[in-house]
Amino acid sequence: MPQFDPEISRMVVVEEDQAQISACLQRLMADSGASYSMVIDRAGQILASESDEVRPEMVHLGALIANTYASTQEMARILKEDGFKTLFQEGMKEKIFTETVRGRWLLVVIFDKQSQVGMVKVLARRSSAVLANILDLVERRSTEVNSPRFRQVGKATIDTIDLLFKDDGCSDDE
Amino acid sequence: MALINVAAREIHGKIVYYGPGLSGKTTNLQYIHSRIPSNTKGELLSIETETERTLFFDFLPIDLGKVHGFTIRFHLYTVPGQVLYERTRVAVLNGADGVVFVADASRDRLPDNLQSLRELAQNLTAQGKRFLDYPLVMQYNKMDLPQALPTPVLDRYINTVKVPRFEASAINGKGVFETLRAISKLVVNKL
Repeated sequence: MPQFDPEISRMVVVEEDQAQISACLQRLMADSGASYSMVIDRAGQILASESDEVRPEMVHLGALIANTYASTQEMARILKEDGFKTLFQEGMKEKIFTETVRGRWLLVVIFDKQSQVGMVKVLARRSSAVLANILDLVERRSTEVNSPRFRQVGKATIDTIDLLFKDDGCSDDE
Repeated sequence: MALINVAAREIHGKIVYYGPGLSGKTTNLQYIHSRIPSNTKGELLSIETETERTLFFDFLPIDLGKVHGFTIRFHLYTVPGQVLYERTRVAVLNGADGVVFVADASRDRLPDNLQSLRELAQNLTAQGKRFLDYPLVMQYNKMDLPQALPTPVLDRYINTVKVPRFEASAINGKGVFETLRAISKLVVNKL
């Protein structure tokens, strides 16, 4: 199983990357009939998503899936397996299929009974291979990006942190 | 790893609260959730046992708003502290950009703190991180209790790596935001 690269401390996704990832997700959804798809990293952060409808709480879903996947890797380790490559949850209305992309990212597909599980699995595997090539490139390029623009954002963010995380908090709920 | 999405103009970072069982990791997140403006925070998600101990993790997304056109988001997690859940802690630690080590300042919890800290160092090293360079802050929690060890003693035993450390009483909110500020800045400085 590919290992996490400690030298890459960040990943920078630019517009062209986003367009390629989105095109891949859209094709997957059109071919499989899925209603939602997203690519998340191992921390559960959403790199890109496509949906037929507005779906709230996908940030929470991303966190749950990433941690569930990480958990299954520990199960695999205990069983002396190389790793489990997929996750599958089946509900009454919808199903979630998750396929690993190079062991570093996760492709998540949500679909209902209109779509066949087997078809989704095959298409997700195919999309995973396409995404792997795109994300490999993004990752390689991220190590080379050392933009003053991000340093500027970093400096300004520190001021925001001081403002927002004051000692007494700043709740508007009181 | 920090994610900078130029297309969506978003920057994400993951911060994990680590430490022995009942040291106050969840209490930190609950206090933060109760004090920051509602437009800044998402729902606090907790996956607990029947006895309300953390089983998997707590999760709190925080949105710092727009900075130079970028939306800054931090995802705060806790790990389950109980010894049994060691492999779950490995899973939650995956991809973290920074860690807050929440130590229980009580005299009788010193061995638990040391064991948890050793485990954290091992887990980060196993993930290919250099522990000594890693964004890490410590929080000495429960300093309001009579059995709390004095700060110099905690410094000597727990903070041998000499990272920023903060005295706290998370249940009253003392030191909670100070700690959050420090780790957030360390994470942002790594951008």
